[in-house]
Amino acid sequence: MRSSRATATWGRLAASFHVVHDLILSIGFGLVTASILALASMGLTLQFGITNFVNFAYGDFLTLGAYFSWVANAKLHLSIWLAMIIGALGMGLVAVLLNQFVIGPFARRFTNLFYVLIVTFGLSLILLNLIQAIWGPSYQQYNVTNQNPVHLGPFLLTADQLIIIGIGAAIMVTIHLLLTRTKLGKAMRAMSDDTSLAMVSGINTRAITTITWFLTGALAGLSGTVLGLNISSITPSTGETFLFVIFAAVILGGIGKPYGAMLGALIIGLATEMSAVVINAAYKLDVAFVLLVIVVLVRPQGLLATKGKA
Amino acid sequence: MQLAYYAVTLIFFFFLYSILNWGLNLQFGRTGILNFAYIAFVAMGAYITGVLSLGKPVAGTGESYILGATLPFPIPLIAGGLAAAALGLFIGLIAFRRLRSDYLAIVMISVSIVLYDVITNYTPLFDGADGLNGVPAPFSGALSLNPNSFLYVFTAFTGLVAAAMWWVMGRITRSPFDRTLRAIRDDPDVVRGLGKNVFGYQLASLLVGSFFAGIGGGLLMDFVGAFNTSAWTSGETFVIFAALIIGGLGNNAGAIAGSLAVPVIFVELPKLLPQIGGNPALIPEIDNMIIGILLIVTLWFRPQGLIPERKTRFDRPLTPGSRILPQFARRGPLARTAGTAEAGRE
Repeated sequence: MRSSRATATWGRLAASFHVVHDLILSIGFGLVTASILALASMGLTLQFGITNFVNFAYGDFLTLGAYFSWVANAKLHLSIWLAMIIGALGMGLVAVLLNQFVIGPFARRFTNLFYVLIVTFGLSLILLNLIQAIWGPSYQQYNVTNQNPVHLGPFLLTADQLIIIGIGAAIMVTIHLLLTRTKLGKAMRAMSDDTSLAMVSGINTRAITTITWFLTGALAGLSGTVLGLNISSITPSTGETFLFVIFAAVILGGIGKPYGAMLGALIIGLATEMSAVVINAAYKLDVAFVLLVIVVLVRPQGLLATKGKA
Repeated sequence: MQLAYYAVTLIFFFFLYSILNWGLNLQFGRTGILNFAYIAFVAMGAYITGVLSLGKPVAGTGESYILGATLPFPIPLIAGGLAAAALGLFIGLIAFRRLRSDYLAIVMISVSIVLYDVITNYTPLFDGADGLNGVPAPFSGALSLNPNSFLYVFTAFTGLVAAAMWWVMGRITRSPFDRTLRAIRDDPDVVRGLGKNVFGYQLASLLVGSFFAGIGGGLLMDFVGAFNTSAWTSGETFVIFAALIIGGLGNNAGAIAGSLAVPVIFVELPKLLPQIGGNPALIPEIDNMIIGILLIVTLWFRPQGLIPERKTRFDRPLTPGSRILPQFARRGPLARTAGTAEAGRE
């Protein structure tokens, strides 16, 4: 009798250890997701800060960047890391061109936000179908060697996942230094605060906008590639299905705030992966949506609030 | 015979997209709600109409869905419309809280992705990615129709529904209620300053528009007999937006023109074309790109669309405190705008 109760207690304890163990493991995966998300969210939020409208084609920016890297990696047989840089630069260039010839003219001509939002929504459809027409609707894989996960402290991660975390951290530090230590970054922050004031202070706002579009494209391309690397395959809709997770991170942090995007990415990344311990993993990304709804209801301006942006 | 079959199918889609366009026109064209989840409301209508016509899922077929019932014909359709409106109410209660229009669009697009994801993965709801099949054709039993005569009868029925909804939407868009909606579209802050309940108006607009979407979805379900997740990707929402904007945003006649110009000519007609080079997906892909480009070009060169929204005109300037006398109100364009002075206290 007593022994059976002890066994039951021990069983419960073991089960809870198991959950704790899974939770700690999931923190590791959460950091990987957070790194991917941080890259994407910073790109989206930097562009929002400068231009003050949301780019609904951003998910397809991720996909297109991922496919550029895939072409360089799987077709041109370059190493995945070199291919990743090519994907980022290529997507940066595409973003600049799209802004130069499509998005920018609309943003300058129409004061009503609707036009430019619909244009970016239209671009998302065009890009999605273009990708599908060129590379086909089925999934593609990067040409990388299979890796066994290694124990690192309490976590169980592959070498690639560790590098993804490294890339995420390095880019965050770079963006921080860019925004605080360089003239370009200061000009970007000035424009984000008040475009007209920045303009009369002698800042070349057109040039800053172009550079920002390059950055947002490059970050999207980088993020799309590491996303594909982490989930081990890419499809034409990879980026679009990830879009609302990026929105959740950006809004949670406060839209237009690069540091908010980092914070939001960390929270959303950890929340989605840790929730997979207790709910069906197929729905883990939907947790980001629940968080998005809560933020919208409770604190629409985000954790790091900006006056007049919500 | 073959040709007549195709032609009637196109006419059906013309009626269907007109209904869908009117709903979105009320939401986006008149109220300024950027509802990027519109197709999710259509899908809700289709699914509910389907499960209420199909009966209980048959054990052993591997199909599973909620609410299986066999209700007599118009009830599932109306229930589909109401279900879509209920979804609108639910989302509106979240989305209209203190949000500027692009935040609202973010919530909407997220709702659409998440609903899509959940309905695809959670099979007990609407049988996952396989969706619903074999929904019985309405009237077929009672009128003993074959598939061919069903096509004609149901297209005629859809035409009647479209006519009724055209009349209803026409009433709505000439009412004081609609004037408030347009004021919200043009400047929500001013309307709030005038003491209007902007939240309530936006919610009502979303609700009525969603009902139109749901009825459209239900008609589609009854017509095709099957519906699954491939039928409501975000590209489908875009087609309706493109139709509305190219036809002429903000007016119901423009919505009809748009339904003819975009979905009928660019979506349904190419489905009848032979495939290119053995790739069945290539035509819809090129098609979607053309629609996207067409929309962007239209927005740049003719943002008012094929049939522009008529500006509300006044015969003489309205000065503060002036009232439109009833004898003026009865003739000319004033007949439509006479309520403006009264709109403040409807």
